[in-house]
Amino acid sequence: MRAEATQISALTAGAAHLLCFAGLAAAHGLAGRGALVSDPALALRLLVVCEAPIVIAVFSYLRRDAKSCSFFKAVARGLIGLPVGAFLNAFGAIVLGAPVGIKYWIATIYWSLVMSLFTFVPAACVFGASKIDWQNVLSHSIYFTPTDVENYMISAPCHGAVLGAWLGAWPMPLDWERPWQEWPICVTYGALAGYMVGMVVSLVLMTVHKRRVRAKAD
Amino acid sequence: MGAAVAGWTVAAVLLQVAGLSLFLYGFFPVKPTLRGFSGAESYQVPSCGSVSAGEQEPTLPPDQLRSLYRELSGIPPVYDRLVLMVIDGLPAEFVLGRGRKPPSKEMMESMPYTQSLLAGCKAAAYHAKAAPPTVTMPRLKAMVSGAIGGFLDVAFNFNTQAFLEDNLLDQLHMIGLKLVMLGDETWIKLFPTLFTRQDGVSSFYVKDTVEVDFNVSRHLEFELAATDWSVLVLHYLGLDHVGHIGGRRSVLMTQKMKEMDDVIRRVHTASLQDNLDRTLLVVVSDHGMTEGGNHGGSSYEETDSLALFIGHSVESPYCSPYDQKEALQVDLAPTLALLLGVPIPKNNFGVVLPELLNSLTDDQKLRMLELNSWQILRLLQAQVPAFCLEDCINSEGSIVLDILHGSIEKKLCHLLSKAFSSHQSSCLHRGSDFKSVKSGYYGTAADNYYGFLRYASEWLSHRATDKPFYLLVSAILLMTVSCLFLMSTVSCLFKARSLSQVDHHSESYLDQRWHLDEVLVLAGMFLYVISLGSSSFVEEEQYTWHFLTSTLYLIFLTKAVQSMLKGSNPTLGHKAEEKSFDKSNFSYATSFELTPGKRNVYKLCTILIVLVAGRVIRAWHQGGINWVHFPDISKLLAQADSSVVKSLQIISVLAVVVLFSVSLTLLRARPKFVIGVWLTHISCGFLVLLHIWANQISTSLPINHSTASIARQFYVIASVSISVTVLASPWVFPMFSTEAESASSGSSPVKAIHGIRNSLFLTGITYTAFWGLLQLLLQQPINAIPLFLIFLQTVSSVVHFSLDKTLHKQWVQVVAIHFLGMAGHFGLGNTNSLASIDVAGAFIGISSYSTVLSGILMFMITYASPLMLYLGLVLHVSVKDIDDISALQQLKWSYILDKMVTLPCLFPLLINSLALTSYTIVLLLMRNHLFVWSVFSPK
Repeated sequence: MRAEATQISALTAGAAHLLCFAGLAAAHGLAGRGALVSDPALALRLLVVCEAPIVIAVFSYLRRDAKSCSFFKAVARGLIGLPVGAFLNAFGAIVLGAPVGIKYWIATIYWSLVMSLFTFVPAACVFGASKIDWQNVLSHSIYFTPTDVENYMISAPCHGAVLGAWLGAWPMPLDWERPWQEWPICVTYGALAGYMVGMVVSLVLMTVHKRRVRAKAD
Repeated sequence: MGAAVAGWTVAAVLLQVAGLSLFLYGFFPVKPTLRGFSGAESYQVPSCGSVSAGEQEPTLPPDQLRSLYRELSGIPPVYDRLVLMVIDGLPAEFVLGRGRKPPSKEMMESMPYTQSLLAGCKAAAYHAKAAPPTVTMPRLKAMVSGAIGGFLDVAFNFNTQAFLEDNLLDQLHMIGLKLVMLGDETWIKLFPTLFTRQDGVSSFYVKDTVEVDFNVSRHLEFELAATDWSVLVLHYLGLDHVGHIGGRRSVLMTQKMKEMDDVIRRVHTASLQDNLDRTLLVVVSDHGMTEGGNHGGSSYEETDSLALFIGHSVESPYCSPYDQKEALQVDLAPTLALLLGVPIPKNNFGVVLPELLNSLTDDQKLRMLELNSWQILRLLQAQVPAFCLEDCINSEGSIVLDILHGSIEKKLCHLLSKAFSSHQSSCLHRGSDFKSVKSGYYGTAADNYYGFLRYASEWLSHRATDKPFYLLVSAILLMTVSCLFLMSTVSCLFKARSLSQVDHHSESYLDQRWHLDEVLVLAGMFLYVISLGSSSFVEEEQYTWHFLTSTLYLIFLTKAVQSMLKGSNPTLGHKAEEKSFDKSNFSYATSFELTPGKRNVYKLCTILIVLVAGRVIRAWHQGGINWVHFPDISKLLAQADSSVVKSLQIISVLAVVVLFSVSLTLLRARPKFVIGVWLTHISCGFLVLLHIWANQISTSLPINHSTASIARQFYVIASVSISVTVLASPWVFPMFSTEAESASSGSSPVKAIHGIRNSLFLTGITYTAFWGLLQLLLQQPINAIPLFLIFLQTVSSVVHFSLDKTLHKQWVQVVAIHFLGMAGHFGLGNTNSLASIDVAGAFIGISSYSTVLSGILMFMITYASPLMLYLGLVLHVSVKDIDDISALQQLKWSYILDKMVTLPCLFPLLINSLALTSYTIVLLLMRNHLFVWSVFSPK
């Protein structure tokens, strides 16, 4: 629907999202059904391994300042952004009440790496140290005011992942005694779901925006 | 407008209070209980009219009392000795099976001795239905008193845990029997002075399943050999612990049951040795457990407790042990009382169990039933004043006609008179030689008695728990109306404010769109209200609050970062902001001439402090119901050396004092008065330190005179200095500021505002700091650090709000402070069950017992954190942004009041009333689902 591509970047965005999704699907395929519940550390590790190269490569390719900044510099930015983002995410999770016991450490580290891939790394690859862009990512103005395609691409999945993870934590204190109520399983499910919803939303926003721009042009 | 708002608010609050009290009245009916102990009068027919009030007989010495009872009852005691073995949490299903089926083979094999007794008809066993809440202490009370305590009993008796109602153990003690208790220390709490020998074990370490029972069994050999006791209470906690760890199907379960069976075997063989066969062994469990090993609610698994009797009077030629014989847990009290020859406890509504009377003659059985009926009749008379035996018997003829649709009283009356008349006719035929006739009369009489007793018992127990539906609904309607009132007031206020702001201010940009934090507050409140509908969310409310609070502050963090990014971006209008900061003369901002960069750092730091402190508080107590046994810092400290706790306590006292001093230095103007306040605060801190020190030296004595006097000195100094501060600071500061600042800034209203602000700041910080010290004095030592952290959170969030006044709307700030208070409330180890109220602290510094004083102290302890934050609101008000008013120069007192006071007051009110209303609705919907009992909130 949105394709037919007077705008090349929308198509690229779709392709990029598709690649990221393929990474998730590959990790899922490798881990097998239910691996997240039975062995969350393994499944999260597979997610990181499959998703990290794809995300870094894709978003480094889409870097904003393509002229002043080489592809490899963007990749380096992404590689630095990965642990930094992981640290921020882990801090957020722990402050929100994630357990800090020794047996949770590994799962927490992998989870925060995954979250970093969803949230921090794309922005690091694309924007570098541009403050105004980072501020755009943090705000929710993109949903109301038209901006660049990159902003949609980065912000919506990022917000989706965070919101999904937040909502995913709600069933944790319930006494249903299901295995998936353990940290970080349901939070990861929430984050994954939110991320995918965010991708779809970003595509929708792009098309709506395009149409509006076209209408204005007419 | 201000007056109207105040009027509406007061009306709403009054409505709320009225609705709440109506609701509580409907929900927890105050059941009239009979005071005092049953005496000799319980062997006489209860008279009509006055419910034998003033007849206080002279107290007889135990031996005479015993022979008097024997004489009056006409039945010799069936047993002389009683062994009451309580196995905590054993479901009757494990021993008796379910639905006429014997238990599984594994279970049968794990209790071989007990099963052989059952099969040999040497024991009688019942499924004794326990009333919720199925937790140990109320169940033990029910067993010994035969009454289900009204729920408010807990609230009325907070001062002492000792059991004051009439009960079996006290009755036995009164006739001179010696009692020995081994096991759960709950018994010692209930009966602190009763036992000749006792060894209490604590049920605190739920992980321990071996030691806790070994500590009971190690005395067994000695006690079984001893002959001085007449009542031996054994309370084994291990099985309950096994359940809590691994649930019903835990691998440890069969092993534990084998251990229990072995104890039963040992006690029984020992009791057989004294060859008179005058010992009754009663094996009961206080409650059952769910599949997962928990208890507290009202499911079949939890209420299905065991009552097993081993003694000569239960033996019978034939029996069917797995017949699913139902009884009530309260039946234990009258049965044991009658068998041991003491009066039945006054408030009992249990019924004597038939199988225990197998070896007695028919006349004796009827006499026992008669005694039971008289006792219940007395209880009925207390509940229904007009109820009277003679009337029943006299008017019997007329009643028979409308028995089917008569009132309950009439029905009871009819049943009772039928029972008594058949008993009389059975007595008349006593001389009769024909056995068949005699037993026939006996049969009808016994049936009639049981008919009456069962009916009356059921009616009484319903009366204790039934709730009038319409009363509750109307109460909830009232509360909803008041909630709507509050909401409309707030919305009115907002409308007025936005109008005024559109008129003359540039903040319209902020007003146009909803901000993330505002959305979160609304969504969070919505989620919270919804979550009250789920019992486990109510049980685990602390997670909800902590989660919401942390999220709110994380959003503040992102906003701060965002504004930092924006601020360093020169294109965005930073100049205007700068200007407004210059104008604001407030202490925090100007005492350190903050550059924007530094200001940002401070902003971030304050939020980070709040977040980290919040996380530590959360980790301090593993609250809630389901995950209490998980490790947390407080348990770690409890196991650690007490000196660690003391030093932490001392550190937090010092930290509070230091923090207070630092905050005082922020007051740019520092008259002598402030120094005076500071000095009193330091001396108070010193007193608290002394108190801690004195407690450490003499931990053995619970009430210590030197510590009490220290605490009292503290109360005096603190209250004097607070009241002096509150009264004097308005007079000190305006004068002062006119002196100091007349040169620097413009017209007088501005100075007046600064004066007000300074005095408010001083008042607020004094309030919170003294409150912090007071709590450090009162709370358990383990809570010292969390208290300090809450204080830190209060101060740092106020600092944060004062640093960026434009970033968050004021109502969001108020809500954030409220959230902090609630999170802290649960962080101090409070839960939504009454069990977690700390009673010990309520007596610090009170020499003689006084309900009001210790009640006030207990309220302070329980609501330490919310109250601290509400006091912090005063501080918050003082640093608020009212520059726009001062800039306008139009100073109306009402306007200032309006701006400063209304919002901080209204919002917590609104939130609380919302929560309360939705909670009562939930309670109404779930009034028959008895999780209510386990998670009743002290709200």
